[in-house]
Amino acid sequence: MLPQDETAAAGGNLEPFEVFRQEREGDPMRHGGSVVAPDPTLALHYAREMYARRGESLRLWVVRRADIVELDDKDLLNPPLDRSYKKPGGFVMRDKLARARERTGQAKRTASSGRPAPTGEGDSR
Amino acid sequence: MTARAERPPGIEPGLGPATRELLLALADDDFVLGFADSEWTGIAPHLEEDVAMSSMAQDELGHASAYYRLLADLVSDDPDRIAYDRPAEAFRHNRLVDHGRGDWARTMVRRWLYDTANAIRLEALAESTSRPLAELVVKVRREESYHLLHGEAWLDRLARHRGEPRRRLVEAIELVGPDAPSVLTALPSEAVLIDSGIQPVPGADLLARWSARIEPVLAGLGLSLPAASPAALDPDTARSGHGAAFNRLWTEFSSVRALDPEATW
Amino acid sequence: MTDPLALDPVLPERERSRLPFNEDRPHDDRYRAFEDHVLAGGKVEAGDWMPDEYRTSVLRFVEMHANSELMGVLPERDWILRAPTLRRKLALTAKIQDEVGHAQLLYRVAEDLGKPREAMIDDLLAGRTKFHNVFHYPTRTWADIGVIAWLVDAAAIVAQQALRDSSYAPYARTMKKICWEESVHIMHGRDVVVTLAEGTPEQRAMVQEALDRWWPPLMQMHGPRSEREKDRDLHWRIKAKTSEELRQEFLTIYVPRVLELGLSLPDPELHLDAAAGQWRYTEPDWAELRSVVTGHGPASEARIRFRRVQREESRWVRETILVAGGAAA
Repeated sequence: MLPQDETAAAGGNLEPFEVFRQEREGDPMRHGGSVVAPDPTLALHYAREMYARRGESLRLWVVRRADIVELDDKDLLNPPLDRSYKKPGGFVMRDKLARARERTGQAKRTASSGRPAPTGEGDSR
Repeated sequence: MTARAERPPGIEPGLGPATRELLLALADDDFVLGFADSEWTGIAPHLEEDVAMSSMAQDELGHASAYYRLLADLVSDDPDRIAYDRPAEAFRHNRLVDHGRGDWARTMVRRWLYDTANAIRLEALAESTSRPLAELVVKVRREESYHLLHGEAWLDRLARHRGEPRRRLVEAIELVGPDAPSVLTALPSEAVLIDSGIQPVPGADLLARWSARIEPVLAGLGLSLPAASPAALDPDTARSGHGAAFNRLWTEFSSVRALDPEATW
Repeated sequence: MTDPLALDPVLPERERSRLPFNEDRPHDDRYRAFEDHVLAGGKVEAGDWMPDEYRTSVLRFVEMHANSELMGVLPERDWILRAPTLRRKLALTAKIQDEVGHAQLLYRVAEDLGKPREAMIDDLLAGRTKFHNVFHYPTRTWADIGVIAWLVDAAAIVAQQALRDSSYAPYARTMKKICWEESVHIMHGRDVVVTLAEGTPEQRAMVQEALDRWWPPLMQMHGPRSEREKDRDLHWRIKAKTSEELRQEFLTIYVPRVLELGLSLPDPELHLDAAAGQWRYTEPDWAELRSVVTGHGPASEARIRFRRVQREESRWVRETILVAGGAAA
């Protein structure tokens, strides 16, 4: 959760800016930390120093903390009712598949268990 | 250009002394400014700014190291010996960086004046007939672009803030401004350097280009550069006769090595 | 509301709602929920609700750490101008720059807990808050620079590595970045020490003398032994290890590395009790530690005074340009 801005400002005056950095080509932008500055220009200079002076970043995004819109309510992000139909694990067809294979004479056997072995697609649950 | 391009890489034997003079000027300028500015490490006005200032001081020292390395290869010496084991009067840095770092306003305006002048000088040297020098200068220029942005950001803020910041800025310009042209003043052996193309553009032209670039910026802020001091424009004095601030710096930086100059540190 | 457990195994077992201590509930409920969360290894973010005791403890801990980085700049800073080669000069400047950077990172963590940076500097310079004992001592020779960058930083990194799992997530994240940078410092310091140890007899004597002087403060640095059960910072999982655990870890790694250079350590009792798996050593002077960290060390006053002077000299910049919208004023 973002800290409250009333308590966040350094010396009561400067503004916090959050810094996001990309470490390698193709990587996502990840939060690095923050700097405090009087304006975006100096914030950018400071972000470069604090998060890239060893060449550890390919790209930086510098954002006024006050401009970030945050959502961290778990009821909104992870609602409690069933959303399993949105996920691969939500489809349980192991027994149905086994019956189908039995019927068509395609049942595969593993050496030890005698249960159907998974195919390359990992289809059985 | 074509005639020059056919010359072998490196530096021709007869050009030794003049080239040494040029490399030493480039190296000493960055070395002395880097040393002076590194003193801000740990005590700058803002922690974030402290880290930025220190990076720029390190960049200058890195550039100085690279120039000393070129020079060392030319004269078969060691970069550290050239940098550290000379008497104070043998340093060939310009009069602008000879001033002490002073307050934050002086440090910032001195940086800006130096960075803008240095940019003009390096722009020309990127075309040097000395290939090792030209190749190095291309890299140095890429690092200097950040310094220019930072310097301009501060010049702008100091100038626009009526009251103490602007007052201190104006004082600093009056103090160090007259010495700023010494960065570009012709070296005593400039004729040889121009003739060989090692320095493609004479100091007088560089000075004109620099004025044309910085005057509109200063004018836009209601500022102007004071007239150059005669010593800053004279090839024989632009890089000699160092003052108390440099002598203090020299005494400090040579003190550990002086314990045993032959030892490995 | 549907009982999430009824939908098992589709939904995971853990409660799908806001962290209970962030809900508007009676204080004691929140406190218990918070404590359960932290003791189970849960992380706390800056904007989360937290008990006053937790906030105060984290703030005190981080603030002292930040102060130490800021004051730790000064002993080495005296040698920036004197570094004897171009490479040493660059490495030392970059190292001190990192310490300033660490101070920035840590003061940011503390600021987000509600205390403004300037108030923290005020308290530091007024002696109301502390910084680590080792930064209250003077640096006398170039060899001190090697010993500090190697062993003081090593002792610090042992502690900081254990903080990467801190329950206070912004602090833990900062520790990861700091540990990464500190590993460079240790190499720089060790290189200085090895170079001197392999140098002239005078250089060797210089580094031995520095080591003799720094060893007692180093042994005090992690603090006296404390009881695990009574340590509230351990309870809240702000930190993970006791002082003695950290000291033992430091000795295990670094004593052999010092001795292999043919240098000696000024403690005749120092040895590894192989049976117990513990280092034995002469009891550090805890009275000295208490006196030093309360501002009575040999360089305490000079360091604080220097900071005060420097702070005043640049105040005008902070009060004019370094304020939001300052450039336009």
